[in-house]
Amino acid sequence: MGQDRRTDVLVIGAGPAGSMTAKWAAKHGAKVLMIEKRQEIGSPVRCGEGMSKEWLGEVGIKPGKWINVEVEGARIFSPSEKVFEINEKHAGNEVGYVVERDGFDKQLAIDAANAGAEVVLKTAAVGILKENGKVVGARVKQFGETFEVRAPITIGADGFESQVGRWAGIPTNLALKDMDTCLQYRMTNVDCDIRYCDFFLGKVAPGGYVWVFPKDEGLANVGIGVQVSQIKTMAEARNYLDAWIAKHPGYAKGKKIDMVGGGVSISPPLKQTVADGMMLVGDAARMIDPLTGGGIANGCIAGKICGEVAARAVEANDASAAFLQAYEKGWRVRLEEKLYRNWLAKEKLCTIQDATFDKIVDALQGVKLDKLSVHNILKAVHEKYPEVTKEFEAFL
Amino acid sequence: MPSKKSLHIESSGQLCIYCGACVGICPLNCIYLDETRITFDEKICTRCEICVKACPVGAIEIG
Ligand SMILES: Cc1cc2nc3c(=O)[nH]c(=O)nc-3n(C[C@H](O)[C@H](O)[C@H](O)COP(=O)(O)OP(=O)(O)OC[C@H]3O[C@@H](n4cnc5c(N)ncnc54)[C@H](O)[C@@H]3O)c2cc1C
Ligand code: SF4
Ligand code: SF4
Repeated sequence: MGQDRRTDVLVIGAGPAGSMTAKWAAKHGAKVLMIEKRQEIGSPVRCGEGMSKEWLGEVGIKPGKWINVEVEGARIFSPSEKVFEINEKHAGNEVGYVVERDGFDKQLAIDAANAGAEVVLKTAAVGILKENGKVVGARVKQFGETFEVRAPITIGADGFESQVGRWAGIPTNLALKDMDTCLQYRMTNVDCDIRYCDFFLGKVAPGGYVWVFPKDEGLANVGIGVQVSQIKTMAEARNYLDAWIAKHPGYAKGKKIDMVGGGVSISPPLKQTVADGMMLVGDAARMIDPLTGGGIANGCIAGKICGEVAARAVEANDASAAFLQAYEKGWRVRLEEKLYRNWLAKEKLCTIQDATFDKIVDALQGVKLDKLSVHNILKAVHEKYPEVTKEFEAFL
Repeated sequence: MPSKKSLHIESSGQLCIYCGACVGICPLNCIYLDETRITFDEKICTRCEICVKACPVGAIEIG
């Protein structure tokens, strides 16, 4: 690179959402340039590395070497550590893998490159180009030099930090209650159970949870998310996590070998993700599931739709927001209802007391659910503690 | 004009883990992260302290 240039589709950010978009746009014939500000795709990892697997086929991802562990299920621990187990039988393929996230991200970038996209590292977007109110590319910086990349379609896939949307005037700002601040240690010599991803709810992590995702026997990602609006002092997320570890002998004896952090949006879906000449995808479009904090799947699912629409727009020579509505509609049909429901459920969860959590998990002991959903869980709780579900009537 | 409080991001790596949490939440979009370099725009920043809360490790201090 090094000088001004043109492409059909400029993808900013080579995370899962960007790579998926680049791959599907290239596959459908568009000339694609994907830029990534880091020098290595996927690294450093900012992720718990847990994901479901039922969606992989839909977006054309084949299981690969990036899978560390295939778990049988998830366990939800109430504040008094009563356990509710969600296994494959009633969660279907919702439970899944613990992955090597950097390997996963690299594989997706390889898939994009093999589909014909050009991938350029150590290259950051520093602003967008606008003409007559339309986005027509970006200003990018590489090795200290700044130049322009012009493209009829620009994709903001720049993750949680998400500048592209804001530069274009799309409101993506988050309220304090719409973000969890996260910290995670990779720990060895811990008593994790390799069959389960574990979630600990309640005061241990206000507005979020503590997770233990096993990477191998004795090796796990132990992390926490706390709602920013519930943070009172500096470094509180770390203090909560350290306190949780100290209280659990099976983890207190462990050794930390890695530490990562980051922000996770737990907001309702954005009202707008397209503008003339541009689309937002993945964390940049606040597509993380507000209940689980998982964003890999949604970013990939929306990325495929985004790439396909980008290629069609190039072919039709029409990058107007009106044309790009096909993406706005497409991802909403696929994801929005669940995002919205899970946001409502999360809002409620943030308000309930530890004693209520205990009751909910207690009510679920021995209950067989055919399918895991907020609705089914509440129905089961309703039978034992109708007073608990009173507040949740909207979901029943 | 009353002088603003000072904001300090411990960015040498002793505390900051370059996670980007502060970048994503800053309402004025004035924190910049480039691999292991983090800076903020002194003039735009209103010292709202939101980033202080969002930082998981306490690397940002306002005094
Ligand atoms: C601590 C933590 C734990 C998590 N755990 C899980 C989990 O277990 N399961 C799960 O599903 N999700 C998890 N998530 C969420 C998940 O990591 C994200 O949803 C996912 O990474 C989103 O993918 P993306 O492609 O949208 O963004 P990202 O993966 O963030 O990719 C964005 C890319 O854009 C690049 N970029 C940014 N700005 C620019 C620029 N100006 N120019 C060029 N490139 C740029 C970045 O360097 C980055 O590579 C977690 C998040 C955190 C913070
Ligand atoms: S104090 Fe407020 S305005 Fe200043 S950098 Fe932090 S979040 Fe941004
Ligand atoms: S939130 Fe804290 S640790 Fe993360 S990049 Fe900002 S200052 Fe550094």
